[in-house]
Amino acid sequence: MLPPFAIRRPTRLADAIALINDDCVPYWGGTELLLAMKMGLLRAEALVDLKAIAELEGIRREGDSLVIGAGVSHDEIACNDLVREHANLLAVAEATVGNARVRAQGTIGGNLCFAEPRSDVATALIALDATVRLISAEGARTLSVAEFILGPYWTQRESTELLVDVSIPLPAAVGVYLKFQTVERPTVAVAAVRRGVAGVRIVIGAVSEVPVVLDRDSISEVDAAAVAADIEPIPDLTGSVRYKRHVTEVYIRRAIKGLNGVGNV
Amino acid sequence: MVSAMSEQVESLSTIKARVNDVEVARTVPSRTTLAQFLRDDLGLTGTKVSCELQVCGVCSVLVDGKPVSACTYLAADIDGHRVETVEGLSKDGVLHPLQAAFVENFALQCGFCTPGFLMMAKSLLARNPDPDEAEIKEYLDGNICRCTGYEPIVHAVQDAARRMQQESA
Repeated sequence: MLPPFAIRRPTRLADAIALINDDCVPYWGGTELLLAMKMGLLRAEALVDLKAIAELEGIRREGDSLVIGAGVSHDEIACNDLVREHANLLAVAEATVGNARVRAQGTIGGNLCFAEPRSDVATALIALDATVRLISAEGARTLSVAEFILGPYWTQRESTELLVDVSIPLPAAVGVYLKFQTVERPTVAVAAVRRGVAGVRIVIGAVSEVPVVLDRDSISEVDAAAVAADIEPIPDLTGSVRYKRHVTEVYIRRAIKGLNGVGNV
Repeated sequence: MVSAMSEQVESLSTIKARVNDVEVARTVPSRTTLAQFLRDDLGLTGTKVSCELQVCGVCSVLVDGKPVSACTYLAADIDGHRVETVEGLSKDGVLHPLQAAFVENFALQCGFCTPGFLMMAKSLLARNPDPDEAEIKEYLDGNICRCTGYEPIVHAVQDAARRMQQESA
């Protein structure tokens, strides 16, 4: 049973921003917020339903960026032609978030703001150098997704700020997204992309508190065993620290192998 | 005392929606989930509730054709929208091709998970009328069945896809 709350339904962005604070929280798909409320982890006087605000919707090209509104669902992103053409790694990651219902209900903005450590979305977006734009009554600021996420369920977003959209600089990096998963969220997820002429970025998500980012000048410099030994996995029902290190090493190797098969950029 | 009482006042939401092609209008507490609304307010108990974490899939229903977990979806959000539940599948006493295929392929035993599987399968076939085995498994992997071992369910969905394509041909 959910605790009692009111629902506010602003239709303009400025009205939504005026409403949100510690007690009146942004609400869209509810896939994470309603769960947290059911478990008693979060209580709010009001949910500020953002679904009527046009600025939070849509996927578009703006100059050298692909811009995705915070309210776009995982399924819409996975199936979108612009995303598939310009940032396919994100489409691949979004296509397997949670389950088909979570993908239809949940949004990219909600996923990032909730900062569940096993998020597929954050891992892929960090590999693509994506940024988020936050707006409050005081103004706007833009942060990289890597800066935005501070820890499990903890981001830079102030309670009076709204995440409006996500931008991916184009041309986006090309690479692979692989994960090992036995339950609703991955045990470990690895995004590997090419950077520059010979360089590589590897983002290891889901296994530790925040995604781990490795930038190397060449693929041969990536030592999967050393990286896996260095990360700090969160032990849980899906595996111990030792087990997760092993799976991480295997998936880094597989991602590198996959990256070698992806066309040069 | 009075102010403490006033804090207890439950916030209400008014819902006007189309559920299985029937117009419904109700006012319910804003915290009411769609599963509670369907089962307790409308008496549509075909939609089941189990994990309440969006993991098991027994509460799957369609809102504007999209699959949602009714356990973690606010009833207030169906206002102005269209909901389909398992009760809406058969027409005039004739089973939907998915229901017929589930029966004939032995895709259910206890039946508790079946309404959820049927609605997810309906959603899958609407976006992909001819899914292969891998696509069916991928789309239905958020639904849990303890009886069948899943194989008959996959066969039933393939069978239903054939029936529905023949019907529309």
